[in-house]
Amino acid sequence: MPTLIALDASLSMLRPVPGRNEHTYQSLAIKGIQHLLDNLTAAGKLEHLGLLSYSTTAELKVDFTRDYDQIRQAVKKVEPVDKACLMSMLKAVVSIMSPWGNQNILQVVVFTDCGLGFGNTSIISFLEAYADKETEPEFNFLKTLANYNLNFICLGLHGDHYFTRGLAVYQQLLDKVSLKGQLFMTKPAKNTDAVEGNPNPNPNPSHKSELGRTTVFELIERLCESSYKSSEVTLKCGSYFRMEAPVLLWPPTAPYEQKSLVFGREPTTRHIDQRIEVCGFLALSDIGSPATLSRHWVLPKVEREKTGGSRRSGSLPPAAKPPKLNLDVSNPNYELEKLETDIRDFYAKDPKDTEESGDDDVTIVLKPGPQTEQQKENLCVLLHGALKMENMAALVKVGDKWYGFIYAFTDGKKKSNLMLNILPPGTNVIPWVGDLELLGFPEDLAPGETASFPVRADRRSYSQSSVVWIRQASLQSDVQKVLRHAKKMPDKTQHFYKELNRIRRAALALGFVELLEALAMLLEKECAHLSLNGASNECTLQLQHAATELRKTSNRDIKSTIIPLQKVGASEAGSTAATAPAAAYMY
Amino acid sequence: MFERNQKTIFVLDHTRYFSIASEEYISLDFLKGKPSGDGGGPGAAGNAAGSGGGSQFSKSLWTCACESSIEYCRVVWDLFPGKKHVRFIVSDTAAHIVNTWSPSTQNMSHVMNAMVMVGVPSRNVPTSSDYSVIHGLRAAIEALAEPTDEQLAAMADCGQEDLPRIPNKGRVICITSARDNTSMKSLEDIFNTVLVQQNALAAPPAKKGLAIDHCHLVILNIVPLGVESLVTNRSLLKISPLLDVEIHTVSAPDISYKLTHLILNHYDLASTTVTNIPMKEEQNANSSANYDVEILHSRRAHSITCGPDFSLPTSIKQGATYETVTLKWCTPRGCGSADLQPCLGQFLVTPVDVTSRPSSCLINFLLNGRSVLLEMPRKTGSKATSHMLSARGGEIFVHSLCITRSCMDEAPAITDGPGGRVPDYRTAELGQLIKMSRMVPLKVKDPSAPNLSRRLPRYFPLTTSSSILFHLQRQISWLPHFLHLLVKEDMDKQEEVRCQQHIHELYKSASRGDVLPFTHTNGARLKISKAKDQYRLLYRELEQLIQLNATTVHHKNLLESLQSLRAAYGDAPLKSEPGASLLRSYTESPLSPERLEPLSSGSGSGSNNSNSLLKASKRRMSSCGQRSLLDIISSAERSQSNKRLDFSGRLCTPLGQVAKLYPDFGNKEKDSLTTGANIAPNVKEESIRS
Repeated sequence: MPTLIALDASLSMLRPVPGRNEHTYQSLAIKGIQHLLDNLTAAGKLEHLGLLSYSTTAELKVDFTRDYDQIRQAVKKVEPVDKACLMSMLKAVVSIMSPWGNQNILQVVVFTDCGLGFGNTSIISFLEAYADKETEPEFNFLKTLANYNLNFICLGLHGDHYFTRGLAVYQQLLDKVSLKGQLFMTKPAKNTDAVEGNPNPNPNPSHKSELGRTTVFELIERLCESSYKSSEVTLKCGSYFRMEAPVLLWPPTAPYEQKSLVFGREPTTRHIDQRIEVCGFLALSDIGSPATLSRHWVLPKVEREKTGGSRRSGSLPPAAKPPKLNLDVSNPNYELEKLETDIRDFYAKDPKDTEESGDDDVTIVLKPGPQTEQQKENLCVLLHGALKMENMAALVKVGDKWYGFIYAFTDGKKKSNLMLNILPPGTNVIPWVGDLELLGFPEDLAPGETASFPVRADRRSYSQSSVVWIRQASLQSDVQKVLRHAKKMPDKTQHFYKELNRIRRAALALGFVELLEALAMLLEKECAHLSLNGASNECTLQLQHAATELRKTSNRDIKSTIIPLQKVGASEAGSTAATAPAAAYMY
Repeated sequence: MFERNQKTIFVLDHTRYFSIASEEYISLDFLKGKPSGDGGGPGAAGNAAGSGGGSQFSKSLWTCACESSIEYCRVVWDLFPGKKHVRFIVSDTAAHIVNTWSPSTQNMSHVMNAMVMVGVPSRNVPTSSDYSVIHGLRAAIEALAEPTDEQLAAMADCGQEDLPRIPNKGRVICITSARDNTSMKSLEDIFNTVLVQQNALAAPPAKKGLAIDHCHLVILNIVPLGVESLVTNRSLLKISPLLDVEIHTVSAPDISYKLTHLILNHYDLASTTVTNIPMKEEQNANSSANYDVEILHSRRAHSITCGPDFSLPTSIKQGATYETVTLKWCTPRGCGSADLQPCLGQFLVTPVDVTSRPSSCLINFLLNGRSVLLEMPRKTGSKATSHMLSARGGEIFVHSLCITRSCMDEAPAITDGPGGRVPDYRTAELGQLIKMSRMVPLKVKDPSAPNLSRRLPRYFPLTTSSSILFHLQRQISWLPHFLHLLVKEDMDKQEEVRCQQHIHELYKSASRGDVLPFTHTNGARLKISKAKDQYRLLYRELEQLIQLNATTVHHKNLLESLQSLRAAYGDAPLKSEPGASLLRSYTESPLSPERLEPLSSGSGSGSNNSNSLLKASKRRMSSCGQRSLLDIISSAERSQSNKRLDFSGRLCTPLGQVAKLYPDFGNKEKDSLTTGANIAPNVKEESIRS
């Protein structure tokens, strides 16, 4: 989810926060940005972030990057200049975001004190201009903007009249232009009456206002909860408990609006299941490149534990216990987990430690320190390795009649990871793979039955010898083909009649009887021409025969085929053969 | 779901007028092509003679109407097989139905064959009012009222529930020839009236067929080449809430171009021209020239790719009235590049000119299994492969690829993630299983067929460092087979016996104190405690493995003997060394009874199994709490008596036959056992084995 952080750099951001003399609105905004970066760093630094500051003009400070330090540095250097102009910023956002196209979920996070701007660049005058002129080209960018998720971190006090008015107008903007947006603001302070009715809350410096570092952090937490929550599912591959593991899908999966199968019902919004199960495996070459709804990294879920505990574990036996303690006796797999731990301990023992009596606690002290995350075995890594080695993909069921593929994806830099392609819901979404519910294993085939990919479709016009004579050139090439075979008779007699019948059949279907006559004439000419050049007797006889048959009206029906003139006999070539066509003619 | 293009009906005028020539002449010389060199003289003379009369001919208006409407449905059926339906109705003195909505008649060969029966309109019949296109139009309206299979299915789905009615829209394309605007007007009026009448029939009392929600009537008024028509062209006009009509006058040879143009809007199609396709020349095979091939496909193939800031390059082909997107051919690289491209949509394609040489070259190239990437220029001057052509299962698809920047770029490597640094995953084993679980398309699927969970092993440690068994299976030759037998769902008695023997082997080598051939320890001798550990772990793992796979009574028997073995081996929280040494003397004792077994032909061996269940449970109970030495010894003794098997030869022999003694005679291990004393010294055993 590429995210553009937009920081309001209007002069009003320099105001000190009432009741919090140590903060200005800007310093709070910067703290908020840092906190957002902290959160995204903890989530794995996967999001691409960009930084934009805006006043009258918008300026891209940091282009999209996963190097969050760049943003941390740049955000400190933003210096407020003049007034805020939200609309020009949003317009700039659209052009900055454009390289991402519309396949990614795009996020914009705006840190602002909700100033309305002034004069003709203010939001209010924009809304006036926009009314009833939605289709004007100057507002085209709003259609693109409507695909983005706009998140406003609204910094202000509910007692502040300007701020509350600003909130209302911002909400109005989102509604009028139908943008996907959300305003994040602090909850009004409980003792609001102390500030209410007082347009300027400054006179109460002793009273801590509702806006502060903690509250801004809360806003960021809410933002992350609503927009950056990664999808967590269980990946299952077989029945052994180790072959089932919690994984994160990144970017998070989006809900899918599925049309009802029954006509006229409301569409349903679908999410993928909490447990996705591998159904079987397919070669990548059998899958090809089917259309996918979305693609996601399948990342091992890391148990986030306090890092402090493990560091001390080497020295104190009680501290070394935690890895053992999480083996819960009530766990159904307790025996298996204990066995694995014991086997690992067994291997880990240094043969030199001969003085150890065996299986008491002392050995634990001597084993290497607790494993880092990278050293803990994980299903994703094993599956990735095996799929990559075999060039195969795992077909996973992500929902009812909804499937996807997990495979090892290697990018241009040879970095490889496990990827999930989610297919559109349905079981018949890849024509050449066939019904996904009908996929099975070779053992399920009936005896003697064979099956392989691809599933073949009916023949299309381009894979059979279609006849289309709309362009004269194609008619010409068909006729030429017959004539070519004609010259090579008797060797090509069969080919000649095959092509001849093909043309004849097509001509009959199209009611193109003129062609039959023309072809008969051509054949006769060819016959005369060839006999002059001393062609074989057989050849001229067949041509004569074919021409005659073409002209017969009795042959103009679907079942009839022109068959080669039967050889009267190899010995009586000359005179008797000459009568043969005549006989055929009379018949 | 039920769009207007779901149902299309061609009404072809089959009256006498259509037998006249289109006046676009084709000469025989043209058909024949260039006269070849050797026959120059006489051939030229012949042509000269022929040019006087009858050497040129022309398609009739009927042929033009027929071939262009068939071409129209070729495109439809190529792109939307089984989804969009086209019907033909031929009209002269009555309406002749060429095909129905049934899938069996919705294909080219059915239509072509039926058209042979229709034939050319006769020239000899006198003009009469009986001959009219009106019959066909009436039949077309009736056909629109007939439900397609999809509509029937949807109606069945809806059932009695109170859901919106199934929409029923359609399009009628009428190829006819009218005298003037007045007769065209009356055609429209009649059509509209019949439409209203038809809907009256469909209304509740009669309920004959589906009511028609809307109909789009396209009238193609065709005239021979060079003839002026009195009918004026008219774009879409709303005649009534039920009916929109448009009228096009075209000269007969151009009717195909007109329909190709119309089909783009009718089915929301777009045209792509693949440019710069290198093709070998027929004359000189060394050089290649570049050709262009135009294909049709759903418009979404373009629109899905274009982001707000990407536009595909378009051009207008000579003589055409629509835009085509020109994409450059990229000579394919490796084969693997075609798999799992980030694809946003796949759409069937069909060439505009299916018979031309460049088209068929491209088609054959694709049908032979190669894929072609198509390139478009970017605004910045760089290029992007926006589409891919590939054929699968005999169908050609255009894949729209994702060309925008993706958040998936710059992948995190899995080796940097959790578990990425574990060196000993059982990748090769899983790879084998994956290959064995490769799926195939079935015609019918038995719901009771084992799914993947049942195919994959129930015990599958991810790494070799978390398993003793799978670590050793490369070192001990009989282990893989043993493991294979153990997980068999249909284990039989004979296999059980084999397994029991293997368990005994393990037992014996444990009692001898053999070191298991681990690769980790480099063959260094383990201390006694360590040596004991290895068997304890091995037994435990074996027990887990059998427990997870226990499906038959044989598995249960094995499990019991293994559990007793574990108990005998003192796999309990024992620490006292004397206990272990005592135990060892016991564990070695089964050697003697086994040797004696052939002689004492035990008759009641079957009862062992029934008792053992009870005993096993007792054993398990005793093995967990605090145990006295007596407990240990007596439990070991109990387990020994339990363990005693019938002579294996007898077990393998069918009832009533005489068992063969020493079938494995010559086997070293067996020999050593028979010669060994009650308590064979370990050293001796090892020397024999090595």
